[in-house]
Amino acid sequence: MTTAAIETPPAKCWPEDGITRVPAWIYSDPDIYAREMQTFHYGKTWNFVGLDCEVPEPGSFKRSWVGERPVIMVRDHDGTINVVENRCAHRGSLICWETRGKARDLSCPYHHWSYDLKGNLMGLPFLRGAQGKGGMPRGFDKSQHGLTRLRVAVRGGTVWATYSEDTLSFEEYTGPEILERLDRLVSRRPLRLVGYSRQMVKSNWKLYWENSRDPYHATLMHPFLSTFGILRTDGDYHSVPLEGGKHEYTYSQFDPELRNRTSEASQQIKSISNDLKIQDTEVVTSVIDEFNDGMMGAFQLFPTVLVQQYFNCLVVRHMIPKGPGAHELAWTYFGYADDDEKMRELRLKQSNLVGPAGFVSLEDSEVLSLMQPVVESRPDSQQVLEMGGHGTGAQSTMMTETLIRAFYEFYRREMKL
Amino acid sequence: MTDWTRVADEGDVTEGEPFPTEIDGVEIALYRMEGDILAMGDICTHEHVRLSTGWFEDGRIECPLHQSCFEVRTGKCVPGGPAWQDVPVYAVKIKDGEIYVKASS
Repeated sequence: MTTAAIETPPAKCWPEDGITRVPAWIYSDPDIYAREMQTFHYGKTWNFVGLDCEVPEPGSFKRSWVGERPVIMVRDHDGTINVVENRCAHRGSLICWETRGKARDLSCPYHHWSYDLKGNLMGLPFLRGAQGKGGMPRGFDKSQHGLTRLRVAVRGGTVWATYSEDTLSFEEYTGPEILERLDRLVSRRPLRLVGYSRQMVKSNWKLYWENSRDPYHATLMHPFLSTFGILRTDGDYHSVPLEGGKHEYTYSQFDPELRNRTSEASQQIKSISNDLKIQDTEVVTSVIDEFNDGMMGAFQLFPTVLVQQYFNCLVVRHMIPKGPGAHELAWTYFGYADDDEKMRELRLKQSNLVGPAGFVSLEDSEVLSLMQPVVESRPDSQQVLEMGGHGTGAQSTMMTETLIRAFYEFYRREMKL
Repeated sequence: MTDWTRVADEGDVTEGEPFPTEIDGVEIALYRMEGDILAMGDICTHEHVRLSTGWFEDGRIECPLHQSCFEVRTGKCVPGGPAWQDVPVYAVKIKDGEIYVKASS
């Protein structure tokens, strides 16, 4: 490569090699980022907002985000769930400052404009002025100044929102395979909130999105996985892209004997550290097959969440973009309302597996935060995606990047890149 | 507060104009309407503000803050505003040109 080629600003066109290459400028370019928000998060997609058990009673609310925009999920007096922008229709200030709570109405702290739980403007101070002076013009129509309201879909115990009138129904949007996997976790029994973790990751949101589609790194970067027999390269594993690369799922059959087995592949796995010990082995050995299918896995529902089951730890990883170079990860751990004491303790214990300091996830946010400045320093560089070949089909192996290629096939089509 | 309390002279309360006062720290307002003198609690049930500084029209007082409306004869909250609870009303009697209110409701 010549020096001139490095100095030339990268043209915003995709490399000729197609989806086996990803140009690094897509991780830092502010125009690309702005287009992603418009095309995806504010476009024809269903965005995760929260769980219905987080807003149990009329007036219960929870703050959330759709793209970069703050929203409020609130249960109305009639029991339905509304999602409105957390932005006063008057001057744009943040209305709700609390993470969760209960309220009769939504009132802005700046000028006390007051909205009902559907976002309708109910009243504003000094509409008629004070002492006969000032106030709004006689023709001011309160009905034209409500909060921006999003379309809402509730599936089992999960709540989703979209800005677009043209978004497909939630069931059409997910497709049957994702819907089946979502229902398996959230629609059979009423949900119970176990807890939260939140962290800021200083990387472009797509680096994390790829990371969740990358089984190749799992056993290599996370020594916990292979050492304690959760996942191994010689285990049963499936990587399945769906809906033209928009969504995906991965799964494996849980094998309680995996950790005791030696095979050619396991000899080669350097990340099996026999000197690592775990104080409380229940985290990895005590498993209740609560779905009666022996399956363990995760799926991505574009563009906001990875829903994951590790043994009896159930968690939603919610990716909230915060500009081209950062995103927030909000982890919501859940169980079921009828969990007995033993299951409650087990879920809590196994929640140590994931989250900002999770046994099998803490390396991800570290490596991606260190990766972001590197990709920013070389926007003209390209990433290589050839593991498992050049295609985008389902593969029964961890040694594949098919899910990432499938994502970029979808991404290029939607972004017209 | 079970007894009648003298709160104003009859001439103090004019048609169309709320008359704010208080009895033992409880804010009330007097209204003259259709020949009657009426007494109603003066604090909005939505947020703490004196209703009498609002807009009195057609037998209703409209809260200056968020336009919740209350019937001054009954204290009933009119649906449509952010308030949902009624305000109390009090018995009134006039004796020798003076207005008395029985504040125990």
